[in-house]
Amino acid sequence: MKETRLKILQYITGIGLFFFIGAHLFASYLSSGEPTSWESVSERAASSGWLTLYLFLLIFGLYHGLHGLRTIILELSIPNSAVKVLDWALLAIGVAIFGYAAYIVINAF
Amino acid sequence: MQELTFRVQRYNPGENKEPYLQEFTIPSSQGMTVLDGLIYIKENVDNTLSFRSSCRMGICGSCGMLINNFPMLACHSPVEELKTDRIEVRSLPNFPVIRDLVPSLDPLFAKHKSIKPYIIGPDMKEVEAPTSEYSQSREELEAYVQFAYCVKCGLCMAACPSVATDSLFLGPQPLGQAYRYCADRRDIGAKERFHVADSPHGIWLCHLAGACSEACPKGVDPALAIQLLKRAMVSDSLRLRKKKKPASLAQPPATSKPKIDVPEFTVTQ
Repeated sequence: MKETRLKILQYITGIGLFFFIGAHLFASYLSSGEPTSWESVSERAASSGWLTLYLFLLIFGLYHGLHGLRTIILELSIPNSAVKVLDWALLAIGVAIFGYAAYIVINAF
Repeated sequence: MQELTFRVQRYNPGENKEPYLQEFTIPSSQGMTVLDGLIYIKENVDNTLSFRSSCRMGICGSCGMLINNFPMLACHSPVEELKTDRIEVRSLPNFPVIRDLVPSLDPLFAKHKSIKPYIIGPDMKEVEAPTSEYSQSREELEAYVQFAYCVKCGLCMAACPSVATDSLFLGPQPLGQAYRYCADRRDIGAKERFHVADSPHGIWLCHLAGACSEACPKGVDPALAIQLLKRAMVSDSLRLRKKKKPASLAQPPATSKPKIDVPEFTVTQ
């Protein structure tokens, strides 16, 4: 059941995003000190824990967003024969964005 | 006598490019329904008006219409309850119009058929030519009976915003009926129906607006059925779904004794 599995992943990534974005917002705005200063940002960028968190945030955010976009496109009554093309196109977009964004995050590490 | 103004959708595909509204003023009477008003117009004012109706008591589901912008059964809509003397009647939205107030329900029936709306038993010979009754507890009956009241009137499909945006979406009626059969202990065809509901234009395009349940004249609550079907499909996908034991055949009573004494008759010629 492909669609059901995709939807379960949508729920999981949604819950994951809540925590990852929460951690990111907490570190950026609520933690003590000056979290948005250059030193603080570069310190987080050099931390393997934060690197892992941001990579997960990237994967979860990309999946959640692209699956949401897929649902919106499906609602345009596109025929079932075109769904595979749509899936491959979104996968290609996702991989390209992930590659570029992961490069930036890892490069800053 | 109070008068009512009916603004009725007229459309003849051979003559009109688009549907338009025609106004009729008719006398009202106590207990009058919208269907009574339409019948009055057809019999006394304009006999070319086309609409579909049959039982006149909310059982057959033929007279589904958009009445003052809400999908309702015309026979089940007393004029007094509409709280206005101006009544606008249009054909059900989300369905093609055949003529005037007659929608084509073909898309509904095609989608309904696709979910296999019948008992798929472990022994199909027994289903088609039963030798005995199935035993079923009250709880087993209550698991599906509410959803079995569907009269296929199409009001839920007309109310559904997801059907309005995506004509390929299965819709509340077929999905609700898919759950109705999956919840029946006599049935073992859940996997086949899950496969249909799992299509790209299937169950996951339902955004739980709840308009279907609000419109349903029989209290079927298709939105609840869809949520229960979603739960069953997620559980099945995660292999958490409990396998239900198929219903067993009930033993026929050894002797059938009448509750009251019935005298035996012998026919003499």
